Amino acid sequence: MKKRMRIGFIMVALLALILAACTNSDPGAAPEKSGSGTDDGDKKSEAAVNDEGKVEIEFWHAMSGSGQESLDSIVEGFNESQGDYTVKAEFQGSYEELLTKLRSIGGTKDAPAIMQVFEIGTKYMIDSGYIEPMQKFIDEDGYDLEQLEENILNYYRVDGELYSMPFNSSTPVMLYNKDAFKEAGLDPEKAPETFADVIDTAAKLKTDDMYGFSMLTYGWFFEELVATQGGLYVNEENGRSGDATEAVFNGAEGLNVFRFLNEMNKAGTFGNFGTNWDDIRAAFSSGKVAMYMDSSAGVANAINSSPFEVGVAYIPHADEVERQGVIIGGASLWMSKGIADEEQKAAWEFMKYLTTPEVQAQWHLDTGYFAINPDAYEEDIVKEKWDEYPQFQVTVDQLQDTKPSIATQGALISVFPESRQQIVTALENLYQGADPQKVLDEAAEGTNRAIEIANKTKQ
Amino acid sequence: MTMSVPKKITFYTMLTVSAVILFFPIVYAFMISFMTGPEILQGKFFPESFHLDNYIRVFDRLPLLNYLLNSFIVSAGVMLGQLVVCSLAAYAFVFIPFRGSNFVFFLFISTMMIPWEATMIPNFFIIQNLNWLNTYQGLTLPFFALAFGTFLLRQHFKTIPKELHEASQVAGLGPFRFFLKVVLPVSKTSLVTLGAYGFLTTWNMYLWPLLVTTNNSVRTVQIGLKQLQSQEVATDWGVVMAGVIVVIIPTLLLLFLGQKQLQKGLTQGALK
Amino acid sequence: MSTIHSRPDEFIATEHKPGVWERSRRARTAILYLLPSIILFSVFVFYPMFRTIYLSFFLTDQAGDAAVFVGLDNYKYLLDSPAFLNSAKATLLFVLYTVPAGILLSLFLALLANEKLRGIGFFRTIYSSTMGVSVAASSVVWLFMFHPSIGMFNRFLALFDFPQIQWLLDPQWALVSVAISTIWMNTGFSFLILLGGLQNIDEHLYESARIDGAGYFYRLRRITLPMLSPTLFFIITISLINAFQTFGQIDILTKGGPAQSTNLIVYSIYREAFVNYQFGTASAQAVFLFLCILVATILQFRFGERRVHYQ
Repeated sequence: MKKRMRIGFIMVALLALILAACTNSDPGAAPEKSGSGTDDGDKKSEAAVNDEGKVEIEFWHAMSGSGQESLDSIVEGFNESQGDYTVKAEFQGSYEELLTKLRSIGGTKDAPAIMQVFEIGTKYMIDSGYIEPMQKFIDEDGYDLEQLEENILNYYRVDGELYSMPFNSSTPVMLYNKDAFKEAGLDPEKAPETFADVIDTAAKLKTDDMYGFSMLTYGWFFEELVATQGGLYVNEENGRSGDATEAVFNGAEGLNVFRFLNEMNKAGTFGNFGTNWDDIRAAFSSGKVAMYMDSSAGVANAINSSPFEVGVAYIPHADEVERQGVIIGGASLWMSKGIADEEQKAAWEFMKYLTTPEVQAQWHLDTGYFAINPDAYEEDIVKEKWDEYPQFQVTVDQLQDTKPSIATQGALISVFPESRQQIVTALENLYQGADPQKVLDEAAEGTNRAIEIANKTKQ
Repeated sequence: MTMSVPKKITFYTMLTVSAVILFFPIVYAFMISFMTGPEILQGKFFPESFHLDNYIRVFDRLPLLNYLLNSFIVSAGVMLGQLVVCSLAAYAFVFIPFRGSNFVFFLFISTMMIPWEATMIPNFFIIQNLNWLNTYQGLTLPFFALAFGTFLLRQHFKTIPKELHEASQVAGLGPFRFFLKVVLPVSKTSLVTLGAYGFLTTWNMYLWPLLVTTNNSVRTVQIGLKQLQSQEVATDWGVVMAGVIVVIIPTLLLLFLGQKQLQKGLTQGALK
Repeated sequence: MSTIHSRPDEFIATEHKPGVWERSRRARTAILYLLPSIILFSVFVFYPMFRTIYLSFFLTDQAGDAAVFVGLDNYKYLLDSPAFLNSAKATLLFVLYTVPAGILLSLFLALLANEKLRGIGFFRTIYSSTMGVSVAASSVVWLFMFHPSIGMFNRFLALFDFPQIQWLLDPQWALVSVAISTIWMNTGFSFLILLGGLQNIDEHLYESARIDGAGYFYRLRRITLPMLSPTLFFIITISLINAFQTFGQIDILTKGGPAQSTNLIVYSIYREAFVNYQFGTASAQAVFLFLCILVATILQFRFGERRVHYQ
């Protein structure tokens, strides 16, 4: 009996220890939000108020590295710019990791007021029921959307409503080594524009140490090369007129892209540098490849770290079609539903602050992402920088030259991450010598299965 | 024991070559942590000068001291928890023979075969339902019970002479007193080993701490490491390597200091 | 667990012979000591495991809940899916690449470091150092060394005019490259265990052998290895289980690519669950992996333990 009591005592002590750890582990940080709001959005909860009497909201993001550095200073700027609200920016891992967490705690009291979700999560977020469409605040506040970049808004606008506030936005561009062009006897001011041109140029640029062309093995670039030909990714008008049921990227446009890559790969002028952004950039900077596709956000770094002159050009398109332009990539900011009005207000104020030309100018310079407010390009600091790097102009021109259409608006499917993975596999198999149509069909099949499951399980 | 000179030379050569190869990645990371961006891209091994900019930037960018403290609290918490929970269990397996003991032991061992990544998301739901997000117990409690630790301690407890147990019973020492006063003190090396093992593995965890925290209050250093790397925007490798060095120094130190104990204790699990 | 149950009617008959209640007293005490472990295992291991098994019979919706019961369809799908069979094959190959080579390397180092030489402590410290470097940290360093254009390995090859290798980008090499880095990461731990095992071997055994004039390799084969076999057995079991569950270095080094060549099962599970949010198929894979490890461990005990020499 006695011993058992002793053991019991130990257990109680252990428990007490745990509880003690529990109470002081979260020093006054997490805002207390009562009421879950999972079931209906009407049940509003009390706003979290911090020690200084300001409304405090959380902002989940996936920005690491210099993106986080810049974001933190923007948030700090907002907190100092007014006296009512405090935004706390919290890093949550990669976009996928952030979304995994969000899927589990969306709609509960642990959910943040603002969350950053990558562009291909748009469909999921709209369907999730956890979010308040941005349009509501735009209408209530009479916010002028005209001031923002039309071609960026288009992506996030569904059925004429803007669901989320665009944030970090980028498009692909083609970067090339001007010195290598000169050495090969090519005009360094004239980058190849069509697939055939690129194939041709790549062959001329190829040396023992240098490949002609390369592209990161990433589904995004494939989507872009399809879209610039006016091709769609899925049916139901790219998923924008209803839930998509089938992938169509294995049609003529998709095949064009795969044949284009295959031809260079077979000719030995294509360099495969894998799925890692930093790898392909290092390959370019160290002269292992003469032309490659990168994100517009990577341009500044490529220029700075390359010991040669870097040219920036539009992405290539198939010879038989006219260039349609690019789809916006990156992420946007979403607002939670079911939180206190004051908190939503705070989130909205923050988003408005974020879209001011001054802030966007800073963001653009720090990270290389586009300014979603084009007025930012008129700011002096941006002008100075552009004088130094005239290449930036090309990235913005390409975006603004884009013809708005369903193709360049981008596809909406909830299983986009999985589909991108399928494309990566298809590309990798292609580089190993598989047949373009075959690997593309396999990717489409895989995507179809994912879509089918998603539609089947959707209530 | 004496060795002939040629033999000695052979051994020292082999020892040195192995050491150089094995330690190379760590030295390499150390070197890169002092380099500037262009230097790294040129693929150099020695930095032009040992400037500390990368380190200054790491500490500037992240609340690294805070992260280190959290890592320390979490690792120490898991370590203590594992020691208590595992030693209690191992004691039951060795000194309280009961029917079904083997079955329960096998059940414990089988938990070693369940991949943690597979059960991570259900576990995340549990932590969330317990309201333990952003708490130390959410980071530590799931790891208190450890089959490997129970196994290791059981192997060591088995080497304690039965006579000691009988003598203590004659002396009127209850099972718990025996556990506390006799078993634990003579198993010091194993306990140190398990402690170090638990501390190091917890220190090195990444995905779980990221999942169950949503703000910096209880985050650990490995998450900091991830924050230094960018996705679409170029990564500053010098800063990342400086982060790597800062993260591994505490564990390396711990390892160097506790080497002897660790080595002695770890083998106990291996012997029947 | 049945041991805790006792029937009161038998309790009455315990006056002379110890009855079930009396006999189960020990079991009840034992349970008390085991309680913390049992509770924790139940909550954080067994319950999630059962939930995983349960979910493997369903398609899940976007919130991760079971939505459509499909019976064994997820399993059928997996066994028909070339991608999964490829994962299974890659996992098996990975185990074959890392476990024997890793243990041989650690054994070699442990034998070297077991010699009583001046300054041996320094070498022991160096050899065990990789245990103190986290998977996340070391993967970042290896990523750099494998880099196709600026990495140390290719610069080294270039030095001798050897053709460059696309370490992590060539499907032929990627798994090998990840295996090399994994062996490095595991060396410290295996080394420490093996060294400890060597030091436990009775010195007298060697002395009598030396009198007989036995050479180094003879002693190694006849004394060291047999005496070390329990330790070897232990480290092989642990390494095997760890190799089956490799995750961190894949995530950082290759993300399962190129051409799925390094998409080990645990990584594939992670991707199904975290990126695709398909808990059904993710769970089915987890169950499959669990069975694999179980079989491997049982085989290992069956056939491996026979060769173990206990003192």
